[in-house]
Amino acid sequence: MQSTPAKPGRECLLLLISPLLAILIAFLVLPLVWLFRASFYTGEGFVERSGFSLAHYEHFLFDAYYLSVLVETLLYGVVTAVVCALIGFPVGYSLARLAPARRRWRMIIVILPLTLSLVVVVFGWVAVLGRSGLVNSILVASGLFDSPKTLLFNKTAVVVVLVQQTIPFMILSVMSVVAQIDPVLEHAAANLRANRFVTLTRVVIPLAAPGILAGFVLVFVIAISAFITPMLVGGSRIRMMGSFIYEQMMSSMNWSFGAAMAFIILGAGLLFTALLNALARRFVRR
Amino acid sequence: MRKDLIDRIMSASGLVVRVCVYVMLALPAVIVIVSSFAADNVLSFPPTGFSLRWYKSAFANEEFMSSLWTSTYIGILASCLSLGIGFAAAFAIDRYEFPGRAAFQALALSPLIVPGIVLGIGLLYLFAWTGLNQTLAGILLAHVVLAIPYVVRTVLASLSLFDRRLEEAAMNLRAPPWVVLRRVTFPMLLPGVLSAAVFAFVVSFGNVTVTAFLTYDDTVTLPVRLFSYVQQSSGPFVAAISSIMIAVTLIVILAIERLIGAERLA
Repeated sequence: MQSTPAKPGRECLLLLISPLLAILIAFLVLPLVWLFRASFYTGEGFVERSGFSLAHYEHFLFDAYYLSVLVETLLYGVVTAVVCALIGFPVGYSLARLAPARRRWRMIIVILPLTLSLVVVVFGWVAVLGRSGLVNSILVASGLFDSPKTLLFNKTAVVVVLVQQTIPFMILSVMSVVAQIDPVLEHAAANLRANRFVTLTRVVIPLAAPGILAGFVLVFVIAISAFITPMLVGGSRIRMMGSFIYEQMMSSMNWSFGAAMAFIILGAGLLFTALLNALARRFVRR
Repeated sequence: MRKDLIDRIMSASGLVVRVCVYVMLALPAVIVIVSSFAADNVLSFPPTGFSLRWYKSAFANEEFMSSLWTSTYIGILASCLSLGIGFAAAFAIDRYEFPGRAAFQALALSPLIVPGIVLGIGLLYLFAWTGLNQTLAGILLAHVVLAIPYVVRTVLASLSLFDRRLEEAAMNLRAPPWVVLRRVTFPMLLPGVLSAAVFAFVVSFGNVTVTAFLTYDDTVTLPVRLFSYVQQSSGPFVAAISSIMIAVTLIVILAIERLIGAERLA
């Protein structure tokens, strides 16, 4: 990769990489390992840190209510990821094909929700969908509604907000992979009298599949672990794993159960990712 | 011509989808800013009247102002620390061959994919055990972990664009090493390094998913304060606070865009 790979002193290299290793092992790897261990504690709170039992996992997995919450959460994840893929793809594609000068403001709009604090984004939606918010005002003014409706605290609202906060990942992922596809291929397809739909489904999408897949997985993982959005936009009627975990940790103080739930959601995410990758590999081989 | 029709439907629907997505992406921030200038007491759109009273009460609110200060303070420290650590790591990844380099790079970028809630409660456990809970240091360390991948990615990108032949040319012209460093290497890396630093700042400044588990007593960062506040009430006051955060974020994004271009914002 480098024109002249430096012949390093080992000490120098060690000096460069050890701070990062130290901080990430201590404050990323260790907490996760510990959390995993904590999910097997016999006690509930932080005080009883001993023993080994599957009680917390059993408590979760043999309870129809908790299981239904898990299933609902995974469904939110899938729906959010599918919507992101469907409407994010055209945006990512067009961004990749746009001249850099015209890309500027569009990129800034895409990046903004990523860098902006999540609370602000979600609060923005409360203002948009609230009883006297933008959408209600438009609907009432246009005569579609007689009086303002409650647009918050339902499933659609949660999906919309989850889509908005995760779609930049899909757009950027699609954009970076489409940028690698030579436009000549599309011209060739057009010369062979393929219309744009055929070109899209036979040429562009298969080539962009890795990017779509990467975006899909990222969106899914973020959506299933969300807790700010279900708490603020969903209210008490929407049940998602994230808000359950938050309650267990911060109000019920049942830390071990919270830890077990966190690992169930992490495991579900990993399993889903593996499944999707396996499917994709099979699809490609065929 | 059937082909023409399909092509036209495709480009029309593509345009509609793109417009909708951009509107959706910008909508919350725009609405927040507009309603923060409202004169009335409830959050409504379109706002009736224009006033700066919510900004006045925001800046007069001691709780929120101390949170703003806390967030800024932690953000600057987290930015410096993660810049130092991340730059060293990116430099090593770019210039050295060593076993496990790919794994090292994956580790450096991994905080991006760990769900915030999982890292948050993991750190809560760790800090409760080590006595780092209820300290500013705990929050700071969490933010450094979160900011590192952004720094590593941004610095790696600018290092990979860096033409090493320029250094060699300077050395051929008999420039001593420190002159090469000062006059060639440093100025060329400066935009990348600066944008890495502001990226790190904004990541720390806005984080809520991890920080929500780590704040205590009076030491509450602005986003977490906002989170607990919004659970009880929402109004133009919250919009004013949110607008301050939007302004900070927007300034940072525009600064990065100036430094390294919109191309490499992500």
